[in-house]
Amino acid sequence: MSAILILTPLIIGAGWPAVTAAAAGAAVALGLTVRATAREGIAAAEEETAVKNSVELEVKNSEVLGNVRTEQQIVLRAKDGVEVRVKRDARGRCVVCASGKGKTKAELKAFAEQFTDRMTQCFVYNRVMTELKAKGFQVMSEERAKDETMNIRVRQWEA
Amino acid sequence: MPQRDVEISISKTGEVKVHLKGIKGKSCLKFGAFMAEVVGKVKSQQLTSEFYEPEEKAAIRLEQKQGK
Repeated sequence: MSAILILTPLIIGAGWPAVTAAAAGAAVALGLTVRATAREGIAAAEEETAVKNSVELEVKNSEVLGNVRTEQQIVLRAKDGVEVRVKRDARGRCVVCASGKGKTKAELKAFAEQFTDRMTQCFVYNRVMTELKAKGFQVMSEERAKDETMNIRVRQWEA
Repeated sequence: MPQRDVEISISKTGEVKVHLKGIKGKSCLKFGAFMAEVVGKVKSQQLTSEFYEPEEKAAIRLEQKQGK
């Protein structure tokens, strides 16, 4: 053994495509489907959600790069009618908003937190794998544990 | 050829535990800094005995004897 490091993830300096990829990964894992990414679809979704309960969470330690004039959003829908919107706010922070008819604020908050955690995990996974492969590491094994932890073992042979 | 093994655990909240194996001395710190740059900030770091072992270095010593 050489060292053990515990690292806290930062979603800083990330581009919108990387956030979208992580949101899509979290959506697949939690059984959501992409409802709209285009501006028109989002406008229609906003009209509908006006009568629903909604909860908004800011993703911790996030700062997404992009043009402040361009609204960047992805709308996802769960089977039970809960809708999740991931967007970049005016300050560049990544925000997750969960809404749904007949759902309490507590239920929506719990769902938004679960989605945010999974999205962060997907973001970190994508980033770590890309950077390690670029450094010449080979993936020896990869598995998801019962507690949802992703365990990855990589190896590099020194020349 | 020496090998470097890295075990990475990404928790469901995105916190990352990196276990470096076979990386000694300064190389270990360098790789740790790289991982911190990729993931975020270091919450804790624990160095193990292997860290203090000297880094392996290969050297060839050439000698030429001159005949009289």
